[in-house]
Amino acid sequence: MSLIDSMSMAKPNLKTRSKILAKLRGRDLVNCFQCIKCTSGCTALKLLELKPHEIEKLVNLGLVDELMSSDIIWTCVTCLKCVQRCPQKASPYHVIIALRNLAVEREAKIPEEFMKKVSQILETGLAESMQKVTTRKMETCDRESLKLPKLAGPKESFQAAFMKALEER
Amino acid sequence: MFQTGLQLATRMTRIGVYVCHCGLNIAGTVDVEKVAEYAKTLLDIVVAKHYTYMCSEPGQCMIQDDIKALKLDRIVIATCSPRMHEETFRKTVAEAGLNPYLLEIVNLREHVSWPHSEEPEKATEKAKALVRMGVARVKLLEPLEKRRVSIFKDVLVVGGGIAGIQASLDLANAGFKVYLVEKAPSIGGRMAQLDKTFPTLDCSACILTPRMVDVAKHPNVTLLTNSEVESVKGFVGNYEVAIVKKPRYVDGDKCVGCELCTKVCPVKVPDKFNERLGKTRAISIYSSHAVPKVATIDPDFCLRLKTKKKDVCGKCAQACEAKAINFEQQPETVQLKIGGVIIAVGSEVFDASRMPEYGYGRFPNVISNIEFERISDASGPTNGKILSPKTGQPPRTVVFVQCVGSRDKRFHEYCCRVGCMVSLKQAILVREKMGRDVNIYVCFNDLRSFGKGYEEFYRRARDLDINFVAGIPSDVRMASDGSLYFDVFERGTSKLLEMQSDMVVLANGLVPSSDITEINELFHASRSADGFLLEAHPKLRPLECSTAGIFLAGACQGPKDIPDTVAQASGAAAKAMDLLASGEIELEPLKAVVDEDLCSGCRVCESLCPFSAIEIKREAKIDEEKLRAEVIEAMCQGCGLCSAACPTGAIKIQQYSNKQVLAQVDAALTETKTKGGN
Repeated sequence: MSLIDSMSMAKPNLKTRSKILAKLRGRDLVNCFQCIKCTSGCTALKLLELKPHEIEKLVNLGLVDELMSSDIIWTCVTCLKCVQRCPQKASPYHVIIALRNLAVEREAKIPEEFMKKVSQILETGLAESMQKVTTRKMETCDRESLKLPKLAGPKESFQAAFMKALEER
Repeated sequence: MFQTGLQLATRMTRIGVYVCHCGLNIAGTVDVEKVAEYAKTLLDIVVAKHYTYMCSEPGQCMIQDDIKALKLDRIVIATCSPRMHEETFRKTVAEAGLNPYLLEIVNLREHVSWPHSEEPEKATEKAKALVRMGVARVKLLEPLEKRRVSIFKDVLVVGGGIAGIQASLDLANAGFKVYLVEKAPSIGGRMAQLDKTFPTLDCSACILTPRMVDVAKHPNVTLLTNSEVESVKGFVGNYEVAIVKKPRYVDGDKCVGCELCTKVCPVKVPDKFNERLGKTRAISIYSSHAVPKVATIDPDFCLRLKTKKKDVCGKCAQACEAKAINFEQQPETVQLKIGGVIIAVGSEVFDASRMPEYGYGRFPNVISNIEFERISDASGPTNGKILSPKTGQPPRTVVFVQCVGSRDKRFHEYCCRVGCMVSLKQAILVREKMGRDVNIYVCFNDLRSFGKGYEEFYRRARDLDINFVAGIPSDVRMASDGSLYFDVFERGTSKLLEMQSDMVVLANGLVPSSDITEINELFHASRSADGFLLEAHPKLRPLECSTAGIFLAGACQGPKDIPDTVAQASGAAAKAMDLLASGEIELEPLKAVVDEDLCSGCRVCESLCPFSAIEIKREAKIDEEKLRAEVIEAMCQGCGLCSAACPTGAIKIQQYSNKQVLAQVDAALTETKTKGGN
C-alpha cells in the first residue's frame, strides 16, 4: 500500500472510492485543489465542525472507511453554498450525499434522527411533523383546537414509490 | 492479365517505403519490421526499410542514397504527423534530386501507436493498411513547384500597448515601415495604467513613457490613434487594409495639449483611464502622459455634439487659443497596403461583479486590482494616496483575495499568470506607502511566483510582514460603516478565521479583449478554447497564427506579464522581418485548380471561399455570357472547401484530387492478406 493514515493506521479503500466517483457522475471530485472556499463558507462548520475540504481530500486519497462510519457526514445541512461557490465544480455536498448513501448500503451506523425522519415521511408524508404552537397568551393550540381540518395521510402509491426509492439507493 | 493504361503507367514507378521507429514512440506498439516486410509485398516497391529515427541525419542520408542508387521516383515515409516533419522530408527528397511533392507521409504515431498502444497487434495491422493506402496514393501524385509572389514590406501593428510599441520599434529600427493602430486616444495600453511593476518595483510610467515617445517620433512609424481596423483583404504579403480614424473633434496638428478646454468644459464624465474612480470632462486628454497629447471630445457626453445645435455650449472652442476644436470632424478612412500584421490587442480585466460572493460593485471598499493600481498611482484620482473609496480614509487593514475569475470552471479555467505577482506587488506598495501599522493579508490558493526574480519578490513580501492566509473566503459581507468582514478557513492551522478589513482587493484575472471576436473575423486568426488567440504551435510556433502573415504579441495570445509580453513582441517583430525582408515569398503549391470545361459558373465556390481567392470571370474567348471561376493563386490556401462543394467537380485541390483520394479508399478496402496494393 502506497499510503497509510499513521494516526488510525487506515489504508485507502480504492474500490469504495471509485464507487463514490461513479455516484458523482461528472461532478469532478478529483479536480478539488483545496482552495478551502467550501469550508470558509460552510454553514455547518461553526456548530458541527464539518470541514468539507477535509472530506474531499480524504475521499480523494481513498481514506473513506472511517469517514463512512463517522457522524461528521451527517452534519451537512445541505445549504448547497459549496455547490454554488466551488471554483472547480467539485461540490463537497454531492460527495457527502454519496458517502451517506454508501453508509446506508453498508448498514453503517446512521444517526437515529435520520431514521426517525424517514419513517415519519413514510407514515405522514410530511418532512416536519405537526407541531403545537404557543400563542402570546400562553395558550397551546394544535390543528384540532383551531378547528382546522384533519390532514389525510399519504397515499399508498406515495408510500410504494418512497419505499422503492429507498431500496434503489 | 488485363491491365488498363493507368495501371500500366503506374507499374513503371519505383517506390521506396521507409518506416520510422520514432525511438519507442512507434516501435513500442507497432511491429515496424513486419510493416516494412509487408510493404515489400506491395506492387512497385523497390525497397522497404525501417530505422530508429528517420528524421535524423543517418535516416535522411539513407533515403537520399536509395533514391540515387535505386533510381526511386516516389517515396512513402511512415512516421509521425506530417505537421511535424513533412517539410523536413520534402527537403530530403529534393536534395536527392526528386520533386519534393512526390512524397507521401503516413502517420504511424498520432494515428496508430499513440491511440492504440493497448492493442499492438491490431495497431500493426492498421499500420500496414495505412502504408498500403499511402503507396496507392503516392503513385498518382504529380510533381509540383512552389509559387513565388512579390509582397509589400510594410507592417500593420494592431494595438498600442507595450506589445505593439515594442514590436513597432523593433521593426522600425530594422528599416520597415510600420502602421501602429490604437483604438484609444492614446497609446500605452494597460501598462500605462499601472503604478509600479514587479519584481523590480520600477515605476511603470518611467519605463513606458520614453518608449511611447520614441515610437511616436520614429520616422518609420505612422501612429494611428483613436482608430480601428475596418476591413482586411488579401493574403500573406499582400494585404489591403482599411483603417477608420474616428473623429476626435479636435485638430491633432493644431492642439498643443494645454488643457485649457478641459478646465472650461462643464460636463463631468467618468474617467476611463482611472477605471471610473475619478471624473474627467467631456473634452479631455486621455491621461497625464498621453501620446499623442491631443484632446478628444467624447460625443456621448459633449452638449454640442449631443444636441447637434450650433448655439449650445461651445466653451472649449472659445477657450482654445490654437483654434483646434472642430465639431464638424468626420470619420476618415485610411487605405494601406501591407505585407504582414502583428496583432497585439492585449486583454481585459475580469469583471468581478459576475461573482456575487465577493460583493464587487455592491460594496464600495471591494476593489479590483486594476482599480488599486489607479489609486496607488501618483497621477490617479487620489494622487497616489491609498484611501478607501467609501470613507476616503486610509485603511488599517487591507486583504487581497487571489484567483478571482481564474482557475474557476464557472468563469475561466486557466491561471491568469499575473494575479499572484500583482497582489504581492500591491501588498508591498501598501506596506511601503502606509508603514508598519497597517495589517496586510493575502488570501491565496496556490502562490505562483515562477519568473526570474519572482520567488525573491515573494520572500521580500514576507520580510515586510505581509501575512499569507492559505484559504479563500466564501462570501464577503459589509458592515454599516462600509468595512468588510468574512470567514476564511486557514489550511495551515485548520482554524476558521473571521477577518475584518477596510479594503478588499480582488486579484481579478485577465480575460480576452472584447475586440477579439472582431479580430478573429477580420484576420482569420483562430482562437483557443480559453478565448485567446491561438498560436500555430504551442511550443514551436508560439509567435504566429496558423494564417500566414499574421503574428501574435502579448496578452491577446494568452495572459502574460510585461517581461513575457515584451519578449513575445520582439519575437513577433523578428518573425515578421524574416517573412518580409526578401520582398517576395514562397507559397505552397497545394492550391485549387479549375477545369474550365466543367465549370458552370454557379458561384458556389466564390461564396464559400474563406480567403476570397475565387473570382468569377466572363469567358471572353468562346462565349461572352459564360461565367467561369478563376483561382487567385497567391490567395488560395488550399483548404478544399470549394472542391468539396463544386456541383460539377470542376475545382480540384492539387495533391488531393478525387483520383488520388479514391485510390487510397480502394486500398483501404483491400484485405491485408491479399498481395498487391490496388
